[in-house]
Amino acid sequence: MAYYLHILIMINIYILLILGMNLLLGYTNLLSLCHAAFYGIGAYLTVFALMKLNLSFFPALIFVCAGTVVASLVISLPSLRLHGDYFILVTLGFMMVVFSIMYNCVPLTNGPYGISDIPRPTFFGLIKVDGIPGYALLTTVLSASSIALFKVLVQSPFGRVLRGIRDEEIMVESLGRNVFFFKVLAFAISAAFAALAGFLYATYVTYIDPTSFTLDESIFILSAAIIGGTGNIIGSIVGAIFVIIMPEIIRAIHIPDTIAPNVRQIIYGMLLIILMYFRPKGLLGKYEFKK
Amino acid sequence: MEFNYLLQFLLNGLVMGAIYAMVGLGFALVYNTTHIFHMVYGVIYTAAAYLFYFFLQCHFGVLPSMGLGLVGASLLGYLIEKIIYRPLHKKGFPLVLFIISSIGAMIVLINVIALIWGNETKILNPAISMVFHLGGILITDMQIYQFAISIIMIILIMILLKRTKLGIILRAMRDDSDLTSSFGVDILRMRTYIFIISSFMVGLAGCLVAYDVGMDPYGGMNILLISIVALIIGGIGHFEGVIAGGMFLGIIQALVVSQISTKWAESFVFIILIAFLLLRPQGIWGKRVREI
Repeated sequence: MAYYLHILIMINIYILLILGMNLLLGYTNLLSLCHAAFYGIGAYLTVFALMKLNLSFFPALIFVCAGTVVASLVISLPSLRLHGDYFILVTLGFMMVVFSIMYNCVPLTNGPYGISDIPRPTFFGLIKVDGIPGYALLTTVLSASSIALFKVLVQSPFGRVLRGIRDEEIMVESLGRNVFFFKVLAFAISAAFAALAGFLYATYVTYIDPTSFTLDESIFILSAAIIGGTGNIIGSIVGAIFVIIMPEIIRAIHIPDTIAPNVRQIIYGMLLIILMYFRPKGLLGKYEFKK
Repeated sequence: MEFNYLLQFLLNGLVMGAIYAMVGLGFALVYNTTHIFHMVYGVIYTAAAYLFYFFLQCHFGVLPSMGLGLVGASLLGYLIEKIIYRPLHKKGFPLVLFIISSIGAMIVLINVIALIWGNETKILNPAISMVFHLGGILITDMQIYQFAISIIMIILIMILLKRTKLGIILRAMRDDSDLTSSFGVDILRMRTYIFIISSFMVGLAGCLVAYDVGMDPYGGMNILLISIVALIIGGIGHFEGVIAGGMFLGIIQALVVSQISTKWAESFVFIILIAFLLLRPQGIWGKRVREI
């Protein structure tokens, strides 16, 4: 039972990550390679909020999301005014730098040794969420409300502007919308989703180290978003389920543990190449990529 | 003493800068003409080094092994163009799909390398290199090779671009690929040449660096980042600018390594990138053009 609940928790965390990626890729047509950086910043800020500031659940969550949104501005402000490829490059560079800081800045992050014994958060200093069933409930509630929030967001006028940017950026600009501002906002919201995922991950696993937040992880999230399908919500959920279940299948068919991670990555890479050729919008995607 | 110390790092920076200039020029060759954000570029660097290592293990001798490594790298570049980019190009797909496909190919190749040779750092040349004293500064024989070969390669490519018919076509493709093809130029064949030449260049850099300091499967990512930043510093669309950009990055890195620490070299590259994007996004030589 605990095993299935663990898988459920991981699926919930990845739904949050993939929704954030989907908002960029499927709704705004921005390709980001630093989603794992925000996931990591969220996780490390969680540690700071819970262990140094001793905040309870909601203040900690607000602190973590706000901090990550500020970090997202470092990328979005210089790069989103420029041609799309600059943005990809800056996100790639940011990913490598954030990893380098997490890995090398030992006094701040304890470097490669990681941080253990992260406390579970408490609600209003009273109720403590603990144990796997408790976390399964908490993450399910949070991911369900995030899905609802996401649905409201993309159907609101804000979401309509984003889809407009995706389909005809110049048209949206000519209608008097500040495209730059909307892109920065979309990027910040996507970072906040990743921060929430980082918060849940850090408090659930109670141990974090930099190797969970690498460029590979960003590409992994990107692949999951594309495999599930971009531009709609069901695609993100299916993507999350697919990428969490697949390693379990690989384990079930007895591929040795030493090569399993590599085999998994090769499968994702092949899937990306094949999907781009035959079905660029992903399995359940709605949106066809345009120029 | 202090002055010599500075000169020493300037020299190391120049050697590294020559390598960066070569890989940057290779990347510029692809990006300026085809506009593909060639993410696999970094892995070709690693793949060439591993092939070099493989043939060394088979006792082929240094130069033949390196030659075979370079042939392998060029072949890899050819295959990537043929299998991954060309089908998308023929369908007329938007460039973002090329990037995603390229990322897919990148993770496949990195993991294939890791599966075959393992994740740990490999050393190619256990011998201690020869050291020459030039006044107060030291230079190793590997540094001389690295610098000389990179500079020769850069000069050859610049001659190719400026003096030959192929170079004229490449520069025409940079300006307008569709218009070039309407003059009867076989664009698909040109693209094949471009990918083979650029893979050869980055493979050469991979072999030269790996023979000096060894390699691991993820080392190419750094080179990818540096090539692109060099391109942006020099100005997109320029072939000369990227050479200066690479040299500049090499010297800055050497200064960071000497004054602060090796650990933060990457972060400084990123800071330079952000500074350029904020202050001069068109690069040192670029003209300000509005993208439509």
